Amino acid sequence: MKSRLSETLSFNGRGSIVCSCCEYKICDQDLHWKKSVIISEESMQDLCGDNYTVSQGLLLRRFFCPGCYALLDTETAIHDDPFLYDKIIK
Amino acid sequence: MDPITFSIIRHRLFRIVDEAVITLKHVSGSAITNEGHDLMVSLYRADGSLLMGGVGFLHHLTSAAEACKSIINKFNSDINENDVFLLNCPYTAALHTSDVYLVAPIHSEGKLVAWSACFVHVYDIGAMNPGGFSPESLDIFTEGFSSPGLKIVDRGEIRKDVMDTLLNMVRSPEMVALDISSMIACNNVARDRMQGLVKKYGISIVDEACSNLIDQSEDLLRERLLELPDGSWESRQYFNVKDETYKVILKMTKSKDTLSFDFSGSSPQSKYGINCSKWASWGGLFAPLFPLLCYDITWNEGVIKPIEMKAPEGTVVNATRPAPVSIATVGAIQAVNNAACTCISKMLSASDKYKNEATAVWHGSHFAIFMFGKNQRSSDSIGILTETFGGAAGARSIGDGVDVGGEIPNPISRMANVETMEWTFPVRYLFRRRLKDSGGPGTYRGGAGAEFAITPHDAPDGGINYVVSGKGTSYPMSEGLAGGYPGAPSRYTWIKNQKKNSDRCLSDDLLVGSNSYEGDKENISWGVFPLFGNDYLHVRWNGGGGYGDPLKRDLKSLEKDVNEGLVSENAAKEIYGAIIINGQVDLEQSVILRKNILNNRVRGGGS
Amino acid sequence: MERLKGGKYIIATDVGGTCTDTVIFAAGEGLKLGKALSTPPNFADGIINSVYSAAEEIGLSLAELFSSCRLFVHGSTVVDNALLTRTGDRTGLITTKGFEDTLLMTRGAYGRWGGLTEDKIKHPVATDRPEPLVPTDRIEGVSERVDYKGEILLQLDEAAAEISIRSLIEVGKVDAIAVSLLWSFFNPQHEKKIKEIINKVSPGVYVSLSNEIAPVPGEYERTSTTVINAYAGSITKNYLTSLESQLEAEGYNGEILVMQGYGGLLSAREAADRAVGMLECGPAAGVIGSRYLGSLMGEENIIAADMGGTTFKVGVIQDGELSHSREPMVDRFHYVAPKIEVVSIGSGGGSIISLDPRTNIPRIGPISAGAVPGPVCYGQGGDEPTLTDVMLLIGYIDPDRFLGGSIKLDVENTRRVFNKKIAQPLGLDIETAAFGIYRIAAAQVTDLIHEITVEQGLDPRDFVLHAFGGSCPLLCSMFGAELNVKNIVVPYAASVNCAFGLASADIVHEYTHTETCSLPCSAEHINNIFKPMVLKGHSQLLSEGFTDKKISLEWAIDFRYGRQVHEVTTPIKVSVPLDDENMSQLISDFETLYERRYGKGSAYKEAGIEMTMFRLTARGLVERPNVEKSQYSGIDSKGAQIGTRNIFVDAKDGMVEAPIYDFDKLSSGNEITGPAVIHTPITTIVIQLDQVGKMDDLRNILIKSI
Repeated sequence: MKSRLSETLSFNGRGSIVCSCCEYKICDQDLHWKKSVIISEESMQDLCGDNYTVSQGLLLRRFFCPGCYALLDTETAIHDDPFLYDKIIK
Repeated sequence: MDPITFSIIRHRLFRIVDEAVITLKHVSGSAITNEGHDLMVSLYRADGSLLMGGVGFLHHLTSAAEACKSIINKFNSDINENDVFLLNCPYTAALHTSDVYLVAPIHSEGKLVAWSACFVHVYDIGAMNPGGFSPESLDIFTEGFSSPGLKIVDRGEIRKDVMDTLLNMVRSPEMVALDISSMIACNNVARDRMQGLVKKYGISIVDEACSNLIDQSEDLLRERLLELPDGSWESRQYFNVKDETYKVILKMTKSKDTLSFDFSGSSPQSKYGINCSKWASWGGLFAPLFPLLCYDITWNEGVIKPIEMKAPEGTVVNATRPAPVSIATVGAIQAVNNAACTCISKMLSASDKYKNEATAVWHGSHFAIFMFGKNQRSSDSIGILTETFGGAAGARSIGDGVDVGGEIPNPISRMANVETMEWTFPVRYLFRRRLKDSGGPGTYRGGAGAEFAITPHDAPDGGINYVVSGKGTSYPMSEGLAGGYPGAPSRYTWIKNQKKNSDRCLSDDLLVGSNSYEGDKENISWGVFPLFGNDYLHVRWNGGGGYGDPLKRDLKSLEKDVNEGLVSENAAKEIYGAIIINGQVDLEQSVILRKNILNNRVRGGGS
Repeated sequence: MERLKGGKYIIATDVGGTCTDTVIFAAGEGLKLGKALSTPPNFADGIINSVYSAAEEIGLSLAELFSSCRLFVHGSTVVDNALLTRTGDRTGLITTKGFEDTLLMTRGAYGRWGGLTEDKIKHPVATDRPEPLVPTDRIEGVSERVDYKGEILLQLDEAAAEISIRSLIEVGKVDAIAVSLLWSFFNPQHEKKIKEIINKVSPGVYVSLSNEIAPVPGEYERTSTTVINAYAGSITKNYLTSLESQLEAEGYNGEILVMQGYGGLLSAREAADRAVGMLECGPAAGVIGSRYLGSLMGEENIIAADMGGTTFKVGVIQDGELSHSREPMVDRFHYVAPKIEVVSIGSGGGSIISLDPRTNIPRIGPISAGAVPGPVCYGQGGDEPTLTDVMLLIGYIDPDRFLGGSIKLDVENTRRVFNKKIAQPLGLDIETAAFGIYRIAAAQVTDLIHEITVEQGLDPRDFVLHAFGGSCPLLCSMFGAELNVKNIVVPYAASVNCAFGLASADIVHEYTHTETCSLPCSAEHINNIFKPMVLKGHSQLLSEGFTDKKISLEWAIDFRYGRQVHEVTTPIKVSVPLDDENMSQLISDFETLYERRYGKGSAYKEAGIEMTMFRLTARGLVERPNVEKSQYSGIDSKGAQIGTRNIFVDAKDGMVEAPIYDFDKLSSGNEITGPAVIHTPITTIVIQLDQVGKMDDLRNILIKSI
């Protein structure tokens, strides 16, 4: 049975995490999904414009679906900080 | 117990808290209490556990429970009818010294049946800097009067020695005296009404109703937790003081009908007062938990039981005495609020039933600015710029965040009118309006923050000083959700030596955009600063976090955003992939642009 | 008012959401009551129908009645309705440049949580602001600035203002413009200038200026009020004009007086420019009616309660004075205008009873079954039990005599539905469950009244309770006893409360002057502030035909302690103009009022005392015919008893056989010992054990605890 992992990701009920938009199989349901998608890491100031007068080292990480390029999640991060990992126990 | 009596007693407990809140506001009469609703009143059971939490600053509900428990332990056999105790030591239970708790036992037929507790942010507490937020204090000893518990009213009589000692240590003692009186009056009302309730229904019936009420809340929350998937969710908040950067790291784990919050990995405690104590973090995680998970459940001990917290000692979220904590409520506590809001929302998002309850972070960073000095009537005054209670709501799965829409931990805040501020302080506003490109981009946009600028006006001393203890300038704290971007950070700009026309006719309405200043600009965030002569202070406050992929935002909504001045044409293009020229969206071009941006993402590139 | 002297009748009609009520005062004939359904959007039809039904009572044709009518008094929900249905004018706003967002920002979250119940406030993720009456693209900022002293810092850029105005009219297509500038109540020059320009550019556009509509500090509330006034302005104006011509067609050519939210009347011409003044004027009229009835009965402390089908409303009169709302709202919009305080909860006869699916705790309302399908017992297909059904189940309502027997109630089905949906799930028998619900309803009402009495420093034991509306007389003996009020009164005019209030109101003009003066302040200075208002009020009333004898000018000052936010309007009871001696009496009156309202120890004398607002109430006393009193005819009420029935008696915690009386057969002086029930044509009055009911010479029923 299909169920939600987040607003943008689902479990397909057959052992995989998929994009809710295009059903693209991202990874095995027990794995860290962020390691299997397209990642963009850009300076938040460059990305967000004049009002984001933030620390130069601050990044906006964006995680895109390799199937449909939908934006799956974002996180703010300083260079070496690990990915935030959200997991649901199946 | 019979549901009719239970229903009547429950309603009456609500009313008791509400009436006590009104008393507090009435007697205090101060702007921060009445306009900002920076207060809390709650009822506690005889053992100090939370019975009925009111609507106020929600991170105080559990801390005041600790205050009751601490008084019970310390005073033990010396707790008498009509006593009132004061406690404001952050290492015992309080959040910071200026949020003073007054807790009072409630007796019936000589038996201790309940406690009431309340706080207001007192006018001053005698810290190094006026108003309570004390950025120059580097330890608890310079953060003003601090008590782990003392009896201020003894069997109905105010202890003059204690009151005099306290008032001897603060600025504007008469204003602080009024704050204390308001809290005594508030506790008196809660006690009288509670005694009336017990008299009408009897100790054992009321006791049974109270314990049922707590059991009911616990059952309801546990049931709700069982409906949500098991898993763990992470969030991270950055904030800085001067050039030091701190992190609050949270991993929230839900297992069956319990929820645990683990702050391991958070930064070591700071030498500045943005730290918070353990009880403050505990309260900080409940502030969003109550309205996000328990919006239809009575806020009491039953909600607290299924929750656990781990906060390593010596960190910003569990500082070790004598670390300074005077800015905790707008420092580490707020980072805890935000991190908990994000984790809870992500958990809600994972459920079909509760996904609409998820929200990006609201008003991630307060910008408490306290003015102090002589006002235009030459009397000393201290007071907060209440715009910080204006806030900005985070976007939700069901719609945009509300512009300047407040915050989650204080559900009924508001800001004062410009006319009130200009009447109270010797300043003139140049503008106060919503801030362009401040709401976090997303399918649903975060609520816009706002901006204002002030300059001295009719100040007998030529100006006034202010204390800034801001964070959220180098790192945006209103996190986005589900692909939404964070809201823009706050910014405080001190403009020096701006030219002013001498004949008092204003030419400075030029100061509408950041580039039109003629004076020297300095971005500030920490310490005491002057607003004298030709100085200006321009404050931009943070927007709420966005929700979902900005490329999916409805083009008509974007067109409206641009026309309302909430999103720039440039941001519409770069972030949202929408071509809007002269207030009109070019549908065809926008579709092409969005496709191009999407295709760029294959290389990990973005807009 | 020259034209009004001849007639015999005062006609008062109140247009409510469902019904339009009429009361006619006639010398020597007592009160005549009339009722008809309201007929939006052409309310005039309902008004005529309602007057017609009262005319029938007297045995007159409409033409006969109107030809001997000397005053037509009117209250209406037209303004509330324009806002609720969003049918007002397309409106624009002109404000000070840099502050264009004031209206939309609503002082932050204030406009998001304002007007919501506590349950909703605790669920912030599900809350939003209401759509504003004026969107951003119809708000123009003009270059100008006045400071907190009223000094002009920057002259109005008239050329730019004209461009803004043209843009609102030509591009924004507005029909109405609100003008609200910073500090305009201290210096209205720029607002006035803008009005001139608007009139020059487009004379047909309706204009509201904030310094005229709400000359008080606080730009958000002032702006919001001015916008509401502009939005509903022409609707109100057209409504009153068309009412005037309709009445003229029916043969009435006298003055129409219109009720204001502060409980006074204004001429239709004046009312037409102050739409915002008509907001919530119905409930205000109800309280005024209560005060008048109190004055007939010699009572100055009254709790005026009204319970109909959907809401329970209550206001308080203390020492004959009415209390005013601090932060009034309409449809979740803030406004600031003098308005009598009336608080309410969503609990009425039609309120649906349900059980919380998770906890099994019973809830009353806030959803109402309305008129259709109505309570289960109406037999119109309603299948959700309501409070009215509970009243039937506990024997308070007679299934055969409801509304004078016009509807026969279905007891069997009501029992079946109530048992299935409420009693069984609670594990209780039908009667016990029904008492329980009844007790919860009484407790909630008690808590609400507690809020506006005890929480304001008033002791309900010093008050009488007036029970108006169709449902209140069923419940009042219960919550009245719990509140320990002196006396409960079920007025003869209980069902047409608001219309009765209209007929008993005076013409009232309110004037205010905003200025902050710190004490000490000379009496002369204050007298000089009042002088122009006194002249204005006096000449206004003279021009309306009042003689000096019928003119009352009441002075009041808003005081506060320094550095405090609470202001207390203190009526000047000492003689005016003031002298230095009675100044000190005035100040001590303020201090007494402050401590009474805000509690002991709240007075903060050290910071000094300030005066912030000067108010003049100019009252033209409307002459009313004496209400006819009936002859005393002894305490014996036996002749009015029409049977017995089992009813729920609180003190016995169960059903007890009790006598039933017919209101129409009772006469002045008759006494009834509880438990008992009195049937009137429109409601049912319940008297509990240890209470005695008595009919007075105005046909009111007085209930007292023994």
